[in-house]
Amino acid sequence: MSEASISNVSLRSAAETSRHRRAARWGFVLLMPLLIVAMALAVSLVEPRILSLRNIINILVQSSYLLLFASAQMVVILTGGFDLSLGMAVSVISVATALATTGLAAADAPAWLVFVAGLAVGLGVGLLVGAFNGLFVSLAGINPFVVTLGSLNICYGLATTISGGRPVFNVPDAFTRPLYDGTFIPGIPIPVTLAIVVAVFLHLLLDRTVFGRALYLIGNNPRAANLAGIPSKRYLFLAYVTCSLLAAFGSLMLTARTGSGEPNLGGSLMLESIAAAVIGGVSLQGGVGGIVPAVLGSIFVTLLSNAMNLLEVGGYVQQILLGCVIIAAIFLDRVRATRA
Amino acid sequence: MRLVGPIMSGRSSSERAGPTSVLERILRSYRPAGFLPVLLTVLLVSFALFIPNFVAVQNLLNVLRSSSYLVIIAAGQMLVLIVGGFDLSQGAVVALTSVTSALVMVAFKETFANEPGLIILVGVLAGLGCGAIVGLVNGLCVAFLRISPFMVTLGTMSIATGCALLLTSGIPVYGMPKSYVEGFGRGLWLDLPTAFYLAAAVVAVIWVMQNYTRMGRYILAIGGNMQAAIVSGVPAKTYLILSYVICSMLASVSGLAFTAQLGSGQAVINAQLTLESIAAAVIAGVSIKGGVGRVEMVALGAILLLTLTNAMDLLRIDPRIQAIFLGIIVVLAVALDELSQRRAALV
Amino acid sequence: MTAVETDDMSRVAEAARDGSDLLLELTNISKRFPGVVALEGVDFEVRQGEVHVLFGENGAGKSTLINIIAGTYPADTGTFKYRGKEIVHLTPQAARVIGISPVFQEFSLVPELTVEENLFLGRELTAGGFLNRRAMRARARAVVRGLNFDLPPDYKVAQLSRAHQQMVEIAKAFLTEVRLLILDEPTASLTDAEAAKLFELIAKLKAGGVGIIYVSHRMREIKRIADRITVLRDGHKIKTVEAGDVSETELVELMTGRKIGVLFPKIKHNPGDKLLEIESVTLSDQSVNDVSFYARAGEITGIAGLVGCGKSEVIRAVVGLEPIESGTIRVRGKVISAPTPAAMTKRGVCYFPSDRVAEGLALARPVRENVSMAALDLPGFSRHRLLQRRSERRIVQGIVEKLSLRPPLIERAVASFSGGNRQKVLLARGLTRDISVYLFDEPTVGVDVAAKAEIYELMQTLLATGVAIVLVSSDLPEVLNLSHRLYVMHRSHMVAELTGANINEPAVLAHFFRERQTDGIVAGEMHATN
Repeated sequence: MSEASISNVSLRSAAETSRHRRAARWGFVLLMPLLIVAMALAVSLVEPRILSLRNIINILVQSSYLLLFASAQMVVILTGGFDLSLGMAVSVISVATALATTGLAAADAPAWLVFVAGLAVGLGVGLLVGAFNGLFVSLAGINPFVVTLGSLNICYGLATTISGGRPVFNVPDAFTRPLYDGTFIPGIPIPVTLAIVVAVFLHLLLDRTVFGRALYLIGNNPRAANLAGIPSKRYLFLAYVTCSLLAAFGSLMLTARTGSGEPNLGGSLMLESIAAAVIGGVSLQGGVGGIVPAVLGSIFVTLLSNAMNLLEVGGYVQQILLGCVIIAAIFLDRVRATRA
Repeated sequence: MRLVGPIMSGRSSSERAGPTSVLERILRSYRPAGFLPVLLTVLLVSFALFIPNFVAVQNLLNVLRSSSYLVIIAAGQMLVLIVGGFDLSQGAVVALTSVTSALVMVAFKETFANEPGLIILVGVLAGLGCGAIVGLVNGLCVAFLRISPFMVTLGTMSIATGCALLLTSGIPVYGMPKSYVEGFGRGLWLDLPTAFYLAAAVVAVIWVMQNYTRMGRYILAIGGNMQAAIVSGVPAKTYLILSYVICSMLASVSGLAFTAQLGSGQAVINAQLTLESIAAAVIAGVSIKGGVGRVEMVALGAILLLTLTNAMDLLRIDPRIQAIFLGIIVVLAVALDELSQRRAALV
Repeated sequence: MTAVETDDMSRVAEAARDGSDLLLELTNISKRFPGVVALEGVDFEVRQGEVHVLFGENGAGKSTLINIIAGTYPADTGTFKYRGKEIVHLTPQAARVIGISPVFQEFSLVPELTVEENLFLGRELTAGGFLNRRAMRARARAVVRGLNFDLPPDYKVAQLSRAHQQMVEIAKAFLTEVRLLILDEPTASLTDAEAAKLFELIAKLKAGGVGIIYVSHRMREIKRIADRITVLRDGHKIKTVEAGDVSETELVELMTGRKIGVLFPKIKHNPGDKLLEIESVTLSDQSVNDVSFYARAGEITGIAGLVGCGKSEVIRAVVGLEPIESGTIRVRGKVISAPTPAAMTKRGVCYFPSDRVAEGLALARPVRENVSMAALDLPGFSRHRLLQRRSERRIVQGIVEKLSLRPPLIERAVASFSGGNRQKVLLARGLTRDISVYLFDEPTVGVDVAAKAEIYELMQTLLATGVAIVLVSSDLPEVLNLSHRLYVMHRSHMVAELTGANINEPAVLAHFFRERQTDGIVAGEMHATN
């Protein structure tokens, strides 16, 4: 309790605070949408195709997938943690689901069974991964980076083992159709509808439930949450399970789109999901975030890679750029944290 | 970085309470990593007895050689772990170094046609330069921008990998001088792989640094209690940056040696390298929280890890399944470390 | 003669030659941190051979001032004169070289390094770029011997007791020649005998012309060793007085800015049933040994003792924050075998932590969420795991207004409130549920005087509703004036239970410093002796 601490306590006088914070809040809230619009306009000068209706729909569909992964990542980042295993989990889920559905289709199972089984296997594997992560982080108290680094490797091993290193082709229509082809609501492709449903659900979860509130509190000050009687361990565990389930759903959607179980599906997803979440405004310190930052971040990252593709920027350069964007986003996050 | 609180509360009586159970005593001994040499010996003996071909000279040389590469990298990771950080970019630095050094050597082939020594020198410098730059970026971001080391090194990992792929489009780079590949990379001095001597030298230098120089104490202080270090006048930022630079440069050194053995510059190198280096360090008692670490133990940890891998290879266990084991080992090792710390704090 | 002694002689001679005996002269020192004014226009001086006490509440600016003197960071304004010369750009290194040696309250030690390594941290002796371990070992032994401490140089600091750690901290200051020694609450964890050794050392240093800045608010010590006392309050220097010219009451009044009688309300004592009983509790880390006490409804049960005596650990153990090795805890007569914060809250026991920033509040979250944190499972706050925002807002707003939170805006993040108001947010949490036992752990640290009075009024209001209050505090006036029954702890043991007229400072202090004379003290059977 001595004041002899080098770190500074940031208090503000009441008047100073409200003026600054209101300005800062509006500034940061508008920053993302403005950036997105600005980028689109800037690129359109060189490559007008970016603003075509078809491309915009394309971007929306792409962001839908990323949104699922970004919001999955967001749930654990809220608690002050991380899920490095996201990409590999997506891969192993994709492969497992493909194997299950193709197996059942080959055995002439009815369409509904194929679909349900696919969902069950996919979400089930997701549950297992999430439980593994959650268990070691909450119960054993191990640093989430290390745990998810470990599960990353485990998932990678599993994915390549059960797939034999090659994609599992011909995932039956019974499975892919409901998750990808066509539209539920006319005009809106299924992936977008699904993403919207998930987004709404997640918003309600975070904003309206005790669980959601607890996540923010745990992320902001785990010791205080514990002292107040919040069952932190239980909720932390559930957060990782939720993350993996969301990622699993995203993986199912992606598998439906490609029509095959890919052991490399997860590839750069881990980085992209983190980039999307952080850029959108989810703070790495924990305790700050919501569905809106995840949405904005996903659109931004998707737009960026879409723009780079249209401008015919090489894949490797894109990867470099992604790394730079991540560092820039974290730096911005730090600035936000020290000001708020 | 450790918090001061729980550790500084000490005990209110001036006696230390003894360990109260066998389990606690075992956990206590884990901390100074006293059981690592024992474990290693036990494993070596068991493998020698039960696994055919383990004791074959060629096999042992292979293990020694691949351990050497890991030892060098793990030593670097240890430095960063000690100051309370983390380096996820090591694998990418190895790839980047491999590619850069090979490309530079090929580029200068004409210029120094009769001086293979110079070609090698330029290539090596270029490779080390890569490590220095990445390390500098990591260090500066962590020390001055105060960004989490995980995130920074995640970013630089992506950038470095991208650069490596970009420079080669994924195609291996051939054409390095013969003396480099045959003489250094695949050569044997006194019947032992050259990489072994390199690793031994690295371990020796770092051992001296840890025990006989200021830097050794400073990095322990920075990781153990940053505030105490600053207040005592330790130039914390400088040594923080230095740790990241040395870590990346050691990754470069390992990359150079490995490239020499491969005979070509490759942008795609062992994807698990980073995890292995962390595993080796953690098994050796280096704490994720910082402030603790001895290089001789890390060397043993690396050897242990690769001995295990080698045994699994000989037993024809699929490398993909080995990846699973690696993941489990890391998690368990850190869990044990965490548990033993908690017990130590209570006793 | 040791190195220390020969230096003393020459320094006294030097002082006689110099004529000027002003060692340190600070004028108009100000220091701001983001959002907080730590010091404003402070003048401070230290003479050679003087013990100058810095006196003030936590948050008054004492630590900031000594950090500036020690070179940890510079002042924003003002002049810094040391031995007649103006000093700018002081670093911790440079400060030690010129003889300014700080001994901090929050230790500047690295736990995993040995005593010797810690002593030399930042100023290692080298030979040709490498560590000169032999020389450092020799010097370390010499310093430790000269101070008459028993410290094994090759033990890791983490293995030492808190008292020994404090000794290492002190030894650190004596590694280089000392002209101005800064001691920040040095006797907090020392035994009587060790403290006596320290005072002997101080006397010796004084004779040798060393100036000493001594930060403390323990009256007995101040009376014993101070030459002059400077009182700080809220970052300002209030007054500098000669120690002999001022009474304790005057000092406390200068420190708080209020007359003592006005500061503490007279709280009615209406003892009822025993709501909380702990018997023979011992903690796994031995910070609490065989401690028993009880708390009754309508009564403030105080626990006093030096920092580190275990009083905070005792009540933390009640809510399960410290691992218990043996003993029983009873709430309303029912034994609780494995207390956890959640379980105890449900049973109506509420603990307010001493470090509200680290353990109590989620600073970036709004007041509303901080207040409702402990009641999320109750109707009015949630139903079927879904939050009831409107109801929550109503309840929290009501509570917050009752506590006079300034400003009463519940959507604002807690980080934007001052220390006193933050404490109110924390206390508001205790009003969201049915609580019958309140455990206050150092409740007014860093709280301004006005808020303190309001917190005491809250205690008064609560007590009238028939709850039990346990007050753990290192603030002697506070715990003396508010407690109806006062326990005293000393080095992990309960050594006294005082009631009525026996609750006075001399009685309590006597127990602070006395070694335990008998084993197995049962609360209620021992009476204080004056």
